Amino acid sequence: MTSKHVIAVTGVNKTYPLGRIRVRALSDVDLTIGRGELIALAGPSGSGKTTLLNLIGCIDKPDDGRIVVDDVDVTRVPLHRLSTLRRDTLGFIFQTFNLIPVLTAYENVEYPLLLQNLPRRERETRVRHWLREVGLEQQAKQRPDQLSGGQRQRVAIARAMVTEPKLVLADEPTANLDSETAARILDLLGEINARTRCTFVFSTHDPSLIARAERVVRIRDGRIEHDTTSAALEVA
Amino acid sequence: MIIKLALRNILRNRRRSAITLTVIVFGAVGLILFGGYKARTFYGLRESTINGRIGHMQIFKAGYAKSQSQKPLDRALDDAAAIRKEIERDPRVKMTAAQITLMGLISNGEKSETFIATAVEPPKERAMSSQRITAGKELPDNEADAVMIGKGLAESMHVKPGDYLTLMTTTTAGSLNAMDVRVAGIFMTGVKEYDERAVKMPIAGAQQLLQTTKIEKLLVFLKNTDDTAAAHQLIASRVKGIEIKEWSELAPFYHQVVALYNGIFGFLGIVVFAIVVFSVANTILMSVFERTREIGTLMAMGTTRGRLRAMFMAEGVGIGIIGGLLGLTIGVLLAMLINRGNVMLPPPPGYTVGYRLQIMMQPPVLITAFLVSFVTATISSILPALKASRLKIVDALGHI
Repeated sequence: MTSKHVIAVTGVNKTYPLGRIRVRALSDVDLTIGRGELIALAGPSGSGKTTLLNLIGCIDKPDDGRIVVDDVDVTRVPLHRLSTLRRDTLGFIFQTFNLIPVLTAYENVEYPLLLQNLPRRERETRVRHWLREVGLEQQAKQRPDQLSGGQRQRVAIARAMVTEPKLVLADEPTANLDSETAARILDLLGEINARTRCTFVFSTHDPSLIARAERVVRIRDGRIEHDTTSAALEVA
Repeated sequence: MIIKLALRNILRNRRRSAITLTVIVFGAVGLILFGGYKARTFYGLRESTINGRIGHMQIFKAGYAKSQSQKPLDRALDDAAAIRKEIERDPRVKMTAAQITLMGLISNGEKSETFIATAVEPPKERAMSSQRITAGKELPDNEADAVMIGKGLAESMHVKPGDYLTLMTTTTAGSLNAMDVRVAGIFMTGVKEYDERAVKMPIAGAQQLLQTTKIEKLLVFLKNTDDTAAAHQLIASRVKGIEIKEWSELAPFYHQVVALYNGIFGFLGIVVFAIVVFSVANTILMSVFERTREIGTLMAMGTTRGRLRAMFMAEGVGIGIIGGLLGLTIGVLLAMLINRGNVMLPPPPGYTVGYRLQIMMQPPVLITAFLVSFVTATISSILPALKASRLKIVDALGHI
């Protein structure tokens, strides 16, 4: 892998125990992702897209194969030793937003910067910037339960972006939103990707979200079925 | 941020936190009240033992303790006046009092009982106020044949103040001697067994009965009990040929009570410790369970295991501090209320008189109550904190 790739997945297999049997979630997956790409991992439920996101996000380990994230082979390092990589290189956006309920929108966005031990003034500048970017400057002091679903996901996006990560992983980011809010969130993700050239990888089975991706990787039964751009897909 | 998160998470489930805090507060209040009661009991027992009976120190002739002689006053103090003068030079000394103890038979002409007499200097004896006069008067200053007797002995002898009794004992030379005495007063100490045998008489009367001019011992009373060791050292350096015993060596009953109460207090402490540990651990474990997905999110964002442990332990520490401070406040207020009220307790075993319930608010008791709350709450959070930090991120994120 060259440094123009932020992710390289080679020969990755993953199985899960389900009662007495083991279910194969990923089979012999190879995938490289370049810097600045906006990629959709598409596929039906249970196809393995969330498993692949988890492996790329260093929150789960493959049974075998190799995963390199930002030039670091993460398969050889225990997960709890990868907290610095997750903190500095990756951003996460979850389907259920996963904001910390006891913290305000501002504090939720600030949290990853506290992990980085940034000075208060720099934290404030960055948090204000990203709250403005997602259009929530006025809601800074509100807690998650005082925000709508779309606003919560915007806070989650600001939280993922505030550390200026090289890669943002979003697992079904619009699945819990109505179609209008989902479209606005997708627009926002597209704008951020275009402006920052941060790599975005999201899993989805939402056709409108797939249509907006520069590249779509289709997964079925744990295998990569297609790997092409959305334009090529349309032509096909 | 860790402290902010901890405090907000404590307030997150207010009902559960309130129940946990109530348990801690009950524990702390229990420790303060019982600890304060214990401290007051120890203090009262110590001071009444010292000032009422044994003094802060007792001065004997050297070799007194090892003496095997059966004769009374065989190891008497030779020059009590000079020793007394030297001891009273120390400004910490309030007074000295000469004493002789003797045993024998007491008779009313119809029946006899054994007695244990303490021969005292009447003016000094009045200052000691160890007993309660139930009839008659204290020992007069210049009447060698006046005695006071314990209430139980008076009942047994069927006597009242003004009646006469006969005391009989062995003299210092080993012969028998008897003396008629007038009952000046009847007293009670509250210790039934003692009141059934006790006689108090003037030194002059005892010396007449024992046919001697010597005294057995000098009791030294200090202004402050805390000066005992220092005063002991000074007397030992100034006066030779004597043996000094401090009050602590002469008060086995005091030590038995201290050991008993400390045992009860220790047991109570263990019970409180166990209740607080289980309560706080349960609260934080429930919190870990409820916040499993949140823990997964925090770890996904790069929170280290150590930081997660610190977060959950901070909750235990927070609960401990809040509970400890609340317990201290409520405990002190309750203690003040009890001290202002006139709550009487029944007589303890072996006593005939009840006493007023008093709670002494000593800093060590208050600090112990706070520390027990704080430390147990902190300890209880260790296991849940470890459990939280060892969760698998992917499992935690998928937790419903």
